[in-house]
Amino acid sequence: MTSLPPADAVEAGQPAADAAPAGPSPADAVHAGLSPADAAPAGLSPAGAVHAAARLAPERVAVVHRGGGTSFAELIAASGTARTALDALGLPAGQPIAVRAAKSPQTVALILACFAAARPVLLLSVDLGAQVAGNLVQRAGCAGVAAATGDGAFDWVPAPVPAGPPDLPPDTCLMLTTSGSTGVPKIVPLTGAALGRFTGWAADTFALGAGTRVLSHAPLNFDLSLLDVWATLAHGGTVVLVDPDRAANPAYLLDLVSTTRPHVVQAVPMFYRLLVSAADGGHTVPEVRHVVLTGEHTPPTLRAALPELFPGAVLHNVYGCTETNDSFIHSFGADEARDGAPLPLGTPLPGVHAHLAGDDGEPFDGPGTGELVVSTPFQAVGYLAGDRFPVRAGRAWYRTGDLVTRDDRGRLVLVGRTDFQVKIRGVRVSLEEVEQVLLAHPDVAEAAVVALPDAAAGARISAVLRPRSSGLTSLQVRTWCAQHLTRAAIPAVFDLRSAPLPVGVTGKVDRARLTKELTA
Amino acid sequence: MSQTQEISEYLVTRYLPGTPADELPADYDLLDNGVIDSLSLLELVGWVSERYAVALDQIDLNPDDFRSVTAVDSFITRNTQGSDTVAAVKE
Repeated sequence: MTSLPPADAVEAGQPAADAAPAGPSPADAVHAGLSPADAAPAGLSPAGAVHAAARLAPERVAVVHRGGGTSFAELIAASGTARTALDALGLPAGQPIAVRAAKSPQTVALILACFAAARPVLLLSVDLGAQVAGNLVQRAGCAGVAAATGDGAFDWVPAPVPAGPPDLPPDTCLMLTTSGSTGVPKIVPLTGAALGRFTGWAADTFALGAGTRVLSHAPLNFDLSLLDVWATLAHGGTVVLVDPDRAANPAYLLDLVSTTRPHVVQAVPMFYRLLVSAADGGHTVPEVRHVVLTGEHTPPTLRAALPELFPGAVLHNVYGCTETNDSFIHSFGADEARDGAPLPLGTPLPGVHAHLAGDDGEPFDGPGTGELVVSTPFQAVGYLAGDRFPVRAGRAWYRTGDLVTRDDRGRLVLVGRTDFQVKIRGVRVSLEEVEQVLLAHPDVAEAAVVALPDAAAGARISAVLRPRSSGLTSLQVRTWCAQHLTRAAIPAVFDLRSAPLPVGVTGKVDRARLTKELTA
Repeated sequence: MSQTQEISEYLVTRYLPGTPADELPADYDLLDNGVIDSLSLLELVGWVSERYAVALDQIDLNPDDFRSVTAVDSFITRNTQGSDTVAAVKE
């Protein structure tokens, strides 16, 4: 087993974040006999925190994967081996590498080695095509691509074009990519300090500590993993990795959750839909204390089924994006889960600033609908080799592209994406709002809405839906829409299908494919 | 085919693809439910005038006359009563 690098050394040279409260160093924590949770104050980098947790409880399970467990000691040992191999590559200090984000404890160890070596990591989705991956590797200035093959071992493929020195923000630790539904993915560099502040918030909010089990459903290259994997490990918890090959298999998911009994679950609505369908009202998972809904709007019918499945959990609707990480949280109980009313965005996380911007881009107060603009302690300051976020009053602000309505009580509710706005006969319509109305119908299982160009009206809305039972007619759905939408927003066409709607890699409905189908 | 059946048939074929004509209730509000918008209203008026030989230039057009199958039916009946064309179109 490789000796552990001192956690303090990992932290060396990283400026203390102004927004992070001063906490004891891991070494101090060890001397004071604190628990691993206490040993990871906000602002501590993941590597330092994981090493601290490992020294406190080396035999505790850090990662559960395909029925087996990897202890903190084993994780740190694998990470140490990987670190030695990385050092042997002789790369210039601070030059990033790319890591294939295959979901395994070995990949976690490899990323941890990079953190410990202060070597920035670009996480590549395993689903990326060679061309897009090559483009990202080059733009990020990566020396090459590593793919974990065993405990501490990895395949190394040097970048074909030697990259120049990358223009990374100081203290860059991780590089994530935006989902890239339009065009080439953008690279979002996150600093160790930002990550430390985020894992600190996550631990405080979801009571992550020694022995807390957290389910990891999202791929490792998704921002959700910052909580599921890194916040958990940094606080001595256990990560339960969902096997990506079976991430959409309801029976597998229910079995995994029933046997590993996580305390915290964070996932996109699709995961909960699968779990609810597998449980079929007959199973409960009482050990779950926190259920985090994120990624997209959770339909009211699905929301209503959650208290029965998770009788011991507080539900949280969390809003965030890759660029800023989590920004708002709304926590609620069974009554609100069942009432069907739109969930508010909730309150800004500590240190998060936000405003709504009108059509002119200027912030406004009071009731109205505008684009949400946020500044968070966890965010990037811009894209790598791309636009930096505008600075105002000493903060970098990110335009989320999300339309939000503020009512007269100051409550914020998400309406949809600004780029999912269409004009129908001159009236601005949010396609997502139409979708949410359809999904709120008790007999609708799935729904997606696309706009097709129309010579007369500008655009024509087509709704594609899958009813729960065969009794539903398109006229009934139309009547429902008319009760909940302005006239221009009522779809022109309702396409009722018995087969599931096509979904993309993120589990969201593939609108591009639907549009293609409807125009074919 | 009765006049109301014919109206229903036209409406579902043109504006409600996939809905059988007998599923469209005669009192279904075509305007509030977004079946007929301002553009298709003109189209519907044109069809009625042509099919039932209603001379539009002598009639005040009110959207309420096109609000439902029943409304369209009584509009046609009202504006063709006593005219020679009625027997011809009703077959």
